[in-house]
Amino acid sequence: MEAPDEQLMLAYRDGNAGAFETLYLRHRERVFRFVLRGVKSRATAEELFQEIWMRVIEARERYAPQARFTTWLYTIAHHRMVDHWRRGGLSLVELDEQDPPGDSPDPARQLEAREALARFAQALEALPVAQREAFLLHEEAGLSIAEIAAATGSNAEAAKSRLRYAVAKLKAAVEDD
Amino acid sequence: MTDERDPRVSQRYRELGREEPPGELDAGILAASRRAAKTRLAPLVPPTGRRHWYFPAAAAAIITLAVAVTLHMERQQLDPEFSGLRPEPPEAKKEPLAAAPPQESPAKPSAPREFARQPDGGSLNSQAAKPAEPLAMPQHSSQAADTIEQGSSAGARRESRARADQSSQPQAVPREAPSGAPARLLGRIAKAQSPEAALERIAELRRQGKHDEADKALAEFRRRYPDYRIAAQMLKKVERP
Repeated sequence: MEAPDEQLMLAYRDGNAGAFETLYLRHRERVFRFVLRGVKSRATAEELFQEIWMRVIEARERYAPQARFTTWLYTIAHHRMVDHWRRGGLSLVELDEQDPPGDSPDPARQLEAREALARFAQALEALPVAQREAFLLHEEAGLSIAEIAAATGSNAEAAKSRLRYAVAKLKAAVEDD
Repeated sequence: MTDERDPRVSQRYRELGREEPPGELDAGILAASRRAAKTRLAPLVPPTGRRHWYFPAAAAAIITLAVAVTLHMERQQLDPEFSGLRPEPPEAKKEPLAAAPPQESPAKPSAPREFARQPDGGSLNSQAAKPAEPLAMPQHSSQAADTIEQGSSAGARRESRARADQSSQPQAVPREAPSGAPARLLGRIAKAQSPEAALERIAELRRQGKHDEADKALAEFRRRYPDYRIAAQMLKKVERP
């Protein structure tokens, strides 16, 4: 049975570097994608990603397992994202150069799938920042409504409303395909 | 927990890709975490076991230090204020009224210290720290000091110095030597280590209701320290109400 995140973080706080490594490997991809889809460029995403984890390292002595570690982690990520948004860029990473999903050999289908994905990416990018963040926290980080509210410093009603709006708009983009 | 997910939206979102951070970034972050882990933080819990005496010992040391510093500061603040009100040494009280002031002992320095203190300047503490030193006298009012000193049975060296002072100022008219209580009063003023101390003595006389003596002492003070500006608060204490 895997050690819970909170236990690992406490172990790291007490000097166990291996506990942090386990924790990092468990969350690195999700945090990275959360950041990557909230900012303009990959370089910026990498910079923010590094900053988030450095904050986690610096804040280890203040960590207390009052909530899920994930909530605490994405609260840090949210603050870094807010700082970034305040400085400027608000668009998602370009997806034009990414390979389309699936391994269909049919060029027409490949093109169709590529276009559908681009429309979805545009819809995601077009979401207001708060709605997009709520969607990413729910979809990527797996946070509940209450946890989204805690991580973003809002209340549960607002978080739920943002998430519903976001899902509704993205659903419309998917149904247009 | 309310799940707001829509299966199609979730699937399309997954199709966007599974990007990962670059390996260099992973290595850098993990290296930083290992460096930080080596820096152990100070314990936030009370020490236990053999070190359980840390807190009582530290508390005792802090309390002792605080008391010592407080007492030291109080002493430093009070000394200059009340140095002029200290009772005379017992041997001085036994001497006749016209006896020499206690500081005029054989151990007295050969030359009195010149008055170099500004009325509102100088360090009170530095003067208070030298209680055995003779009265600091303003140079321009040395006549008054000499008058007082003539009224007492000063030592031969003091008399010779007084004569030398008189000879250096031939135009000076010697004053009459006071006698009785005023002489004692003026002797006290002469013994005062600073103008502030002399004023405190005068204020003490006022408080005791000895207004005549206080008036004379104040007049003598003004002769001694003509340039000294008495603070308004002190003036209320030393002037006749």
